[in-house]
Amino acid sequence: MKNILVRLAKRIFAGIIMVLVMASFTFFLVRMMPGNPVSAKYNELIMRGMTPVQAMDEVRVMYGFIPHQPLWQQYLHYLVQILHLNLGTSISYEGVPVLHIILDAAPWTIILVTTGLIASFIVGVLAGVIAAVKRSSPTGNAITLSGSIMHGIPQFVMGLFLAYVFTTLWAILPFGAPYNAALTPGFNGPFISSLVRHAILPVATYALSSYGGWLLTMKSSVITVLGDDFILASEVRGIKAKTRVRYIAHNAILPLFTIFALSIGFMFGGSLFIEDIFDYPGLGNLLLHAIDARDYPLMSGAFLLITVAVIVANIFADFLYSVVDPRIRR
Amino acid sequence: MSLAATTEAPSKNSPGPAGHPSFLKNAWRVIAKKPGRLLGLAIIVLFTLMAIFGPYLYPRQLPINPNAIYAPISWHYPLGTDFEGTSNLALIVTGARYVLFAAAMAAVFTVVFGTALGLISGYYLGWPDSVIMRVTDFILTIPGFPLLVVLSTIWNFGQPMAMGFVLGITGWGGLARAVRSQTLSLRERGFIEAARTLGLSPFHILFKEILPNVGSYIAMNLLLAVTGSIYAEVGLFFLGVVPFQVNNWGVMLNLAVFSAGAMSSTQALPYLLSPLLALLILTLGVVLFLDAVDEMFNPRLKEA
Amino acid sequence: MSAEWPLKANTKAVGITIRDLEVVYSTGQGQVPAVNGVDLDIAGGQITGIIGESGSGKSTLAMAIMNAVPHPGRIVKGSVVVDGVGNMLTLDKESQRRARGRNLGFVFQAAQNSLNPLTRVGHQVLDLGRSHNVKDLRGLLRRAKELLHRMGMDADRVLTAYQHELSGGMRQRVGIMFALVLDAQVVILDEPTTALDMLSQASVLEIVRSIHEERDITTILITHDMGVVADLADRVVVMYGGELAEEGETAEVLAHPAHPYTKGLIQAIPRISGDLSQAVALSGSPPDLKTFMQSGCLFYDRCPERVAECQVKRPPYESAGPERKVACFRVMPHD
Repeated sequence: MKNILVRLAKRIFAGIIMVLVMASFTFFLVRMMPGNPVSAKYNELIMRGMTPVQAMDEVRVMYGFIPHQPLWQQYLHYLVQILHLNLGTSISYEGVPVLHIILDAAPWTIILVTTGLIASFIVGVLAGVIAAVKRSSPTGNAITLSGSIMHGIPQFVMGLFLAYVFTTLWAILPFGAPYNAALTPGFNGPFISSLVRHAILPVATYALSSYGGWLLTMKSSVITVLGDDFILASEVRGIKAKTRVRYIAHNAILPLFTIFALSIGFMFGGSLFIEDIFDYPGLGNLLLHAIDARDYPLMSGAFLLITVAVIVANIFADFLYSVVDPRIRR
Repeated sequence: MSLAATTEAPSKNSPGPAGHPSFLKNAWRVIAKKPGRLLGLAIIVLFTLMAIFGPYLYPRQLPINPNAIYAPISWHYPLGTDFEGTSNLALIVTGARYVLFAAAMAAVFTVVFGTALGLISGYYLGWPDSVIMRVTDFILTIPGFPLLVVLSTIWNFGQPMAMGFVLGITGWGGLARAVRSQTLSLRERGFIEAARTLGLSPFHILFKEILPNVGSYIAMNLLLAVTGSIYAEVGLFFLGVVPFQVNNWGVMLNLAVFSAGAMSSTQALPYLLSPLLALLILTLGVVLFLDAVDEMFNPRLKEA
Repeated sequence: MSAEWPLKANTKAVGITIRDLEVVYSTGQGQVPAVNGVDLDIAGGQITGIIGESGSGKSTLAMAIMNAVPHPGRIVKGSVVVDGVGNMLTLDKESQRRARGRNLGFVFQAAQNSLNPLTRVGHQVLDLGRSHNVKDLRGLLRRAKELLHRMGMDADRVLTAYQHELSGGMRQRVGIMFALVLDAQVVILDEPTTALDMLSQASVLEIVRSIHEERDITTILITHDMGVVADLADRVVVMYGGELAEEGETAEVLAHPAHPYTKGLIQAIPRISGDLSQAVALSGSPPDLKTFMQSGCLFYDRCPERVAECQVKRPPYESAGPERKVACFRVMPHD
């Protein structure tokens, strides 16, 4: 247990470093932009008739740093602000702190991603086991083929396809917006059912486009384990079939944890497409809106939060992995 | 049966698939084995030709036809027309160059970065290894696509080369890891040890002894990087974060979905379906062909 | 020694009767007969050593006795009758499973990982017990501890350990414990000392010998090491190319080997012939696909004593004295 905690602590430390690196990256990115938006804003405020002092205060609030200081001073200031969770204020939502906006958007994305991830993981892993066990039968081949196809289709194509089929061809599911705007948000039946109905397609897009990956990986993992010596040994010792299936499943699922961690980043990347297509108010949509509106503080903030979410999910997956695999605990 | 035995025997002594004089012959034999693989190859060749010669088939400025806006599928417009009455087929064919060229560049950059860093890391170990692996972990953890979106605000993606480069530097992590672990396991084998004892230069060992042995990973990854990059770049254009200065399948998708309302009106449907069809056919081609590449380079599959 | 063995063959000891057993492996180049028409009686209560080069089919024979030949191998025909259990090849699946582990214990080569890497050894003992409907699991664990202790191990530590925490020699002893903990009357050891260092080899063999004597079980020892057979086995069976070449009491066979292959095996070992300079390596290569298709003796290509007849047909495996069988034309030219 102690080793697990040491490992966890190391990962958390590495994660913090990573977040700082990404924060620095966005800092310099905004500075590299054509026509440096920070000075541009400052100049714009002066032109609007503000005194330099007022303008500087305004820009400082907005971006979390001051334009007419040496770069390193601005950078240090920015990092300190980040550590205080101050991400500046939004330009397009005038004066609203960026942190507020992204914390409002985050739950939508996180719920979408987790539901999609869990659904696809369960279905994909089960299908992968069947595909591995029946790999020389038509059923097994058909399952594998379904995985290859789903794995091959880009997420945005999947999203467009589902949207077209279920909202236009057979208009059985709602399109756009996270819930029916006519309903009052709250803990009431119609609202929740509307919420669920609006979430079906985005979640299904996530689930279908990652199902193939789980299936194919699980299949090859199971086939590898089936060839392991200890499985033959357990057969020769007369271990019950049920117990042997447990041995196989336990061993085969372990390599998936690493991939699980990697796919989290991929899923958050996919949220851009899915939220864009289904007009879902999550982090991806926010990031796109910020870029559209040239709202750089919001853009940096949204990107940073996506990064943090991915890193946290990674650490969590790694922690789970070290709990289930005794070989890591050394 | 005896025929198979005689054809297998000589290849036993050959050093590996790459560098073998009859490599092309062998490749063709593997491809011709299944009709699906031939279809895959045909699709890839067709799209490659489209990328090379497509723009020469049409005038620089594609003709517009105000009388044929959102024209249905016909002889004259095999895939219908867009909002200006331009043939969708012409848009697809001329758009292929950017899409495929950028994807090819991305794949080359991915493979070059991934292979070089993986080899160095796995061969030298020590501090180069820990530095490279830290960076690799970092690259693998950061959400790649959002990063591309953010980068698109300062990077000019009008040039396919620029697009390919960015896709390459964000996408080499997985390959570097795979090449590193392959190199590590090769290190343990006798012939690398022997080459080192003979005093051969690390350059020679890395590129002449180890590289041919990781060829299979690289070949597979090259193709996977091509498809991955196509999705990513088309995705970027689809999201509309990249200025529409070039003709691209993603631009078509974006305009079809968000401007033409193809999701709700049937008349713009061909405009939406054309780029989707192009993407799906190309994907199908690559997936079918991957099967052949897998067999060509994977010695374990060869024997069975 | 010859006076001893009838005493051991008491009523409790379980014998195995193998008749016309044939196992083939399907490979890309065709069907390889790994075990070809083997008839063998394994006497109860004895240690039978089965010796041969790698690829001689000895391990396949062992797996065939359990009816657990791994893919792509397949038992084509024959019977394996275990006293008190029945024919392993025709029993229903559930009875077969119960016989494995309960009646027939199997010990894998040390290099193979015969334990689930993710579960503690103790849990795997419990899984074994539950699979064989052992009511008294506490008692089972106690027996496992006794066995481990008996083999010179810290039993409590081993039972709470994972496979990766054990050394090769320890794993092998754990493997023996698994084969014995349900009181199997037959124990098959497949290359038990291969991949172990010399010290561990010696201690594992010593354990095999003493447990065999204590429990009055039937032991089948698969090995390529004539020295191991000479040390331990009551009887020795020599396999070549999937067929039996010679069998007999160990002392007899070592003193007067009849088959030229057996002679070669014995000469190749300085430990037995005594003089290192006299050790002669067996020339030629083990049989391949072509060898199996030839009509003559499988050993023909490598045989120093071959005659014309050997090229034309295969010598039958026939009795050549009491408790002795050989497959060679040179041994019984007058039959």
